[in-house]
Amino acid sequence: MLTALILVPVLAAILLALIPSRRSELHLPLGIALSMVPLALALYVFWLFEPVAGFQMTEQAMWYEPWGIGWNLGIDGISMPLVVLTALLVPIALGASTSVTIRRKEFVVFALLLEAAMIGVFCALDLFLFFIFFEAVLVPMYFIIGIWGSERRVYAALKFFIFTALGSALLLVAIIALAVTHADQFGVPSFALGDLIGLDLPTGTERWLFAGFAVAFAIKVPLVPLHTWLPDAHTEAPTAGSILLAGVLLKLGTYGLLRFNLSLFPQTSVDAVWIMGILAVLGIVYGAAVAIVQPDLKRLVAYSSVSHLGFIVLGTFALTSGSLQGAVIQNVNHGLTTGALFLLVGMIYERRHTKQIAEFGGLQRVMPIYAGFFLFMAFASIGLPGLNGFIGEFLVLVGSFTTLPVLSVIAATGVILAAIYLLWAYQRVFTGEPSTEENRVLRDLSTREIALLAPLAALVLVIGLYPGILLEKIAPSTESLLDQIEASTGYTVPEPGRLADVIVSGGDE
Amino acid sequence: MIPTPEISWLAILPELLLALGAAAVLLVDVQWKPEAITLGGLSSLALLLAGGATVVQWAHAQDALGLGNSADLIEFSGMVTVDGFAVFGRFALLAVTAIGILAGWRYLDGLGRRSAEALALVLLSTTGFSIMVASNNLIMLFLGLEVGSLALYVLAGLTAERGRADEAAIKYFLLGSFASAIFVYGAALLYAGTGELEILAIRGFFAGNILASPTVVLIGLALVLVGLAFKVSAAPFHSWAPDVYQGAPAGLVGYMAAMAKIAGFAAIARVFLRGVPELDWSWLPVAAGISALSMVVGPVLALVQDDVRRMLAYSGVAHAGFIMTGVVGGGTPGVLFYVAVYAVQLVGAFAVVAVVSGPSNSASPLADYKGLSNRSPGMAAAFTVLLLGMAGLPLTSGFIAKFRVFSDAWAAGFGWLVVLAVVTSVVAFVFYLRIIVTMYMDQGEGAVSVNLPARWVLAISAAVTILWGVFPAMLLDLARDAFPL
Repeated sequence: MLTALILVPVLAAILLALIPSRRSELHLPLGIALSMVPLALALYVFWLFEPVAGFQMTEQAMWYEPWGIGWNLGIDGISMPLVVLTALLVPIALGASTSVTIRRKEFVVFALLLEAAMIGVFCALDLFLFFIFFEAVLVPMYFIIGIWGSERRVYAALKFFIFTALGSALLLVAIIALAVTHADQFGVPSFALGDLIGLDLPTGTERWLFAGFAVAFAIKVPLVPLHTWLPDAHTEAPTAGSILLAGVLLKLGTYGLLRFNLSLFPQTSVDAVWIMGILAVLGIVYGAAVAIVQPDLKRLVAYSSVSHLGFIVLGTFALTSGSLQGAVIQNVNHGLTTGALFLLVGMIYERRHTKQIAEFGGLQRVMPIYAGFFLFMAFASIGLPGLNGFIGEFLVLVGSFTTLPVLSVIAATGVILAAIYLLWAYQRVFTGEPSTEENRVLRDLSTREIALLAPLAALVLVIGLYPGILLEKIAPSTESLLDQIEASTGYTVPEPGRLADVIVSGGDE
Repeated sequence: MIPTPEISWLAILPELLLALGAAAVLLVDVQWKPEAITLGGLSSLALLLAGGATVVQWAHAQDALGLGNSADLIEFSGMVTVDGFAVFGRFALLAVTAIGILAGWRYLDGLGRRSAEALALVLLSTTGFSIMVASNNLIMLFLGLEVGSLALYVLAGLTAERGRADEAAIKYFLLGSFASAIFVYGAALLYAGTGELEILAIRGFFAGNILASPTVVLIGLALVLVGLAFKVSAAPFHSWAPDVYQGAPAGLVGYMAAMAKIAGFAAIARVFLRGVPELDWSWLPVAAGISALSMVVGPVLALVQDDVRRMLAYSGVAHAGFIMTGVVGGGTPGVLFYVAVYAVQLVGAFAVVAVVSGPSNSASPLADYKGLSNRSPGMAAAFTVLLLGMAGLPLTSGFIAKFRVFSDAWAAGFGWLVVLAVVTSVVAFVFYLRIIVTMYMDQGEGAVSVNLPARWVLAISAAVTILWGVFPAMLLDLARDAFPL
């Protein structure tokens, strides 16, 4: 099942590559149609997924026995939502790419290969395999930014590539070190996550390895001060690139921290709570503050990502039931809302060929539907109750308050700052009288554009009103992660940090 | 009556066939003056036969290994040992020669009456290096090195365009001879210190004896290392490489560089890992130092080049450093796997250079590659795969190779070297990407026609780069037994 989910986009890419470039009108529609297959598979996976702890739909095959590397796949409550999110965002990103006129074939092929790699990252339970997918993501994304981006695309693409490659270089060393340690302790090397969790690491080694993993993922997230590649990459990338970058690629970092740092190095994770928490809060406040002063709408959304991703990292390392669930569900929320915001910015850019906030004004008179979607997504991003952002940020903040009260109070200011930068941007772009002649004649959204936004808006509302649809599938996995951390370290989650505390105390009253 | 020693012809059969092939090419040319294609066919036949002989040797080596009895290995009077290591090295050399001839075909064909000489020299250099990978004796090693290198010196200068090629050939010859002299002096000192020339016997000597004053032996080892480091263009002995890579005929540079790398690293692995592991306290830090220096110097200098040939030369320095981490890690299979996949990528990359800049032109400015993705999409795609392979991205053979040598080095306790290696790998990404950017993101004029042999080279080299990256077991299983006995 999961293998099919990875291989279908690859096969689709090969199929499209075989269609000659001169039939360029075929590639995009066919690409969208083919990317519906993984989406259907992902929804089927979602439906099959049982709300229990542990990995499901696992597949194991030996890849190269002497090295102990295997094609080990499986998903749990932490990775499943991200797989579905990826499969959902790719057709939308492709649908938003009608303005790609040069080399359409290559564009669609790279997007589909990117999808395969991204799904692979979330499904891989073997560190070698994980690393392969983690790096494989870079190449198509590099081309997508570098070929189809705006003016400074080559610089932005290179910066993106070098930053992330530097991170994964350290990750590679740490992975090698784990496998060699496994060979020392058990006689055979192994890269399987399940095997490596059981390693007995000296404290010093564990800290170094934690750092190797954490730096790689922190660059991806990105955590301040390793974030400088992100505004450039986002601003220069084409719309589809920005959607996938914000929607999925950044989640490789937060997912990696949740999946690998917490489970492989529980003791160091517990020890590093403060460091990671401070970095996360720094990102929340800094990203939001910088977003306020951005004159470029796309850069504003990019910096808002830095801020929002900070919540996820804070939730990850606050180590309570609520904060972990919040982190996981916020992964999805951020993908939906920020993906939609980039989509919206792309739509206005296609009309006006500018992203400067100062160029716009009074758009809600001429584009009411567009303005409605923008405001809706902005509210979701701010965390208005009833919409999905509220659920994630609320869970993170409440969960973090148990263990990191000071930091979670500071983090809460991020929500206020989000309201400032998004609503102020909304005010400047949409309210008042249309400022220029060009703004007065803008078309409102077409049916195609509404069709791209509608599923995202619907999910924002569904998760906002009934988060249980995701949380019941997430909770068993985050609980078992906490159990594992408690069992392997002296750490206990202070009351009422565990789900059990809440339920029991609720019963008493 | 003097007893004649029993001669195991099988041990040197591939070299005999290659040398005979070279002679046949020259004789046929004198007698019948055929078209170059006939001579090319004759050379391929020689390669094919040599390959067949190597397969037979491989079967023998497998049997000997399977029985756990290294005494059953085919030997040639203690001079040559046909173990898994030698067989793997020979396979690599023969395969690289075959695709090297294809890659350089336009150039070889264009030489007119001198194509016979060039083909004969190619076969002779392969003969020399083939002896080198199997030699178990320092004299034999030197002979193989010289036979192979001398042929390469001539090939470097054998081109229609004089100036640069002459400079390259003379520079290569002078510095190369100097390095060979250093090597042979080192071998002599080793002999003076131990009284042995056979690598196994040297090992035995150190296993049984402790030298009160090992100075002579240590100087000898240092000189041997310097001589071989020169051949593989490891820093700080690399300064010849960019000039030679630039001046020598593009069609054959890939072949020349690949052969020197394979044979040079085979020799380093055999002499140091097999011969003097007891003295590793002395040479291991030096090898690590050479490795570290190469990994830093290569990528950094490649960054500032504007000529693709010089970039590839400096990338070769970087790769020498990466492969050296495998030597430091003590894993000969990893070393041989790396040189094999790198050799294939190198030949493929220079096949592109030969097409883009002309087979004998000595400049290959980056500007020539502008918009190559439109002018020749297939070649641009293949070159991209090769460059990503050299950069060591996952799903290419280059990644598996790097992974392997880095793991060995880590397990051997050289963590700092591994960290340095991965960081410099990232630096190297920059100039590989620079070429890719030029091909895909710049606009260029003029269609490029790729000749058929070059198409084959590109298809084969790109295909195996991905194939060995996705299914590494194919080559790794073959390399598993590739350790010297």
